[in-house]
Amino acid sequence: MSLNKAASINIGDELAPRVKQIAQRQIDAYSGVRPKSIHTDVEWAQKKGFSAPLAQGLMSTAYVSQMMVDLLGEGFVRGGKINVAFIKPVLAGDTLTMHGVVKSKAAESDKTRVTVEFWCESQRGEKTLVGTASGLAA
Amino acid sequence: MIEFKTISYDLVQVGEEFKSDDFLIKPEDVETFAFAVDDHHPWYFDRSPYGGPIAHPVLLANQALMMRHSRYIIPAGLHAKMQMEFVEPLRAGMRVRSYGKVIDKLEKRGRYYMVTEFETKDEESGTVLVRGQFTQMLFKGERHVA
Repeated sequence: MSLNKAASINIGDELAPRVKQIAQRQIDAYSGVRPKSIHTDVEWAQKKGFSAPLAQGLMSTAYVSQMMVDLLGEGFVRGGKINVAFIKPVLAGDTLTMHGVVKSKAAESDKTRVTVEFWCESQRGEKTLVGTASGLAA
Repeated sequence: MIEFKTISYDLVQVGEEFKSDDFLIKPEDVETFAFAVDDHHPWYFDRSPYGGPIAHPVLLANQALMMRHSRYIIPAGLHAKMQMEFVEPLRAGMRVRSYGKVIDKLEKRGRYYMVTEFETKDEESGTVLVRGQFTQMLFKGERHVA
């Protein structure tokens, strides 16, 4: 396994934010279209009190993964971890901005585990996800 | 023959086990996932450090979450927390299955939750690919979906 160098990653480093515009078609592709689903049935979502269908929270874990693969490459694909809480719903049509800041570096066997604190913010200024992800560096 | 019941806090038991259906990861699944989450990393479509293309690490998270549907009718409910550990890369051509177990159920500020741990394995080799746990909100008692 070829790992990125821990020495090139510093505590406090900010990852380049990633912006995601959540289209209904993407939610449909992620969750699978079915009736009476708050994710893919507009009328049903509205009946349940939402202005639009909800994206599954899990979709945001994929954005975390994307940023971690960018940061650590193989050290995230094999040995990566995600630990997040979904704190506000994400609606179809929302624009999310993912933020990450390197929180710690710790020895793990002969490698270094790099942990990043993540949060995701909607265009309403609400945090929708908070948590951490980590992976291995040399 | 499975008798599906609507899931509830009262019904779910700590120690209860789940198993997903098996799933063959196909190239179009990798492509659909890339579209869904807008992540077209070249490792998912071309060569990767692992030889051929791999799949997005989070590709199978929904399979784990959907395990409960193999026994219960699941009304919409908040997905509160998710933990995942990526043990081995996923690849198209793998036939995979998720195995889970309810490890806790709890009440917090008037809301009810279940915690399920899971492992997703390559069915052919038995290799663990992803492991983790998720916390889902539940209704307390019996409730009709529609």
